[in-house]
Amino acid sequence: MAEEEMNKTPNTERQTSKVERLEPSTLGVGRSALDVKRFLWRILDFALAGIFIYAGALKAIDPVQFASDIDNYKLLPWPLSVAIAFYLPWLEIFCALGLVFRFLYRGALSILTASIVVFTLATIAAKVRGLDITCGCFGHASQHWSFPAHLLTNLAILAALVVLSFKATSRNRLQNAV
Amino acid sequence: MKSSLVAQAVILAALALLPAAGEAIYFRDKISWRSAIAPSEMVTVEQAREFGSTAIWVDARPDEDFAKDHVRGAILLNEDRWNELLPQFLAAWAPGKKTVVYCSSLSCNASREVARRLRKEAQLSDVFVLEGGWEAWLKKK
Repeated sequence: MAEEEMNKTPNTERQTSKVERLEPSTLGVGRSALDVKRFLWRILDFALAGIFIYAGALKAIDPVQFASDIDNYKLLPWPLSVAIAFYLPWLEIFCALGLVFRFLYRGALSILTASIVVFTLATIAAKVRGLDITCGCFGHASQHWSFPAHLLTNLAILAALVVLSFKATSRNRLQNAV
Repeated sequence: MKSSLVAQAVILAALALLPAAGEAIYFRDKISWRSAIAPSEMVTVEQAREFGSTAIWVDARPDEDFAKDHVRGAILLNEDRWNELLPQFLAAWAPGKKTVVYCSSLSCNASREVARRLRKEAQLSDVFVLEGGWEAWLKKK
């Protein structure tokens, strides 16, 4: 009967019940601590999603400007800049929604991580080459940001994405193992 | 969702294609796939000269470059001091005037940005970017 019940229960819940069996005296405390932790992780999900939805929407509203911002890096031919200007904002928005609804979650995290890495490297490359440009990361809203401000923002976002990726990967491994 | 990370990324990438394609169709008249500046918004030095007295020349380069030399009668209007300099440009502008914006060379972006802002923020029409910028002007002086 108990085994049948176990088979019906999703992996994550089964993991929790193991913890409960191991520490019956601290059951209430353990569960609330887990809830708080889970809540904090979700807050980080929502914060990142908010940033990328905002950034994506700003760029999707004005793809002409974003194409121009990409072109300013002098790394890509103009037609490719236009294609990216139409595509990237929507990719960011879909990935951000993936974080909110935990739908295609790890894929969303990996795409967002890759995009922020590319943006950061391109911003550094532009600075090294002496180009005084707007990164375009947040549309024209980031036009007057200084280089250190760009870099710090991007690195903070990258750090948060990496942490969430590790968390998602370890949880995935745990689920596969149980 | 138990699909692999790569499969998830591919699905998301494919989903984003749909609105992107829609937007590309919607904006087809507002952006050229061939050039950063629509041909109708670009003028050569010869074409700009033909505007004669109807032209207002706008120098979008930094203050120091403008101070060294500029097109005769040009008004300084760069992005660094946009709010400060815009009023003096608007004072010189009149309906029917054609605005020709230039920056240092073919590869600079300042003229394109200033022209874009004049169209968008100041709601002006007949705003052109000088092909080749100041360098082209010097060659054909």
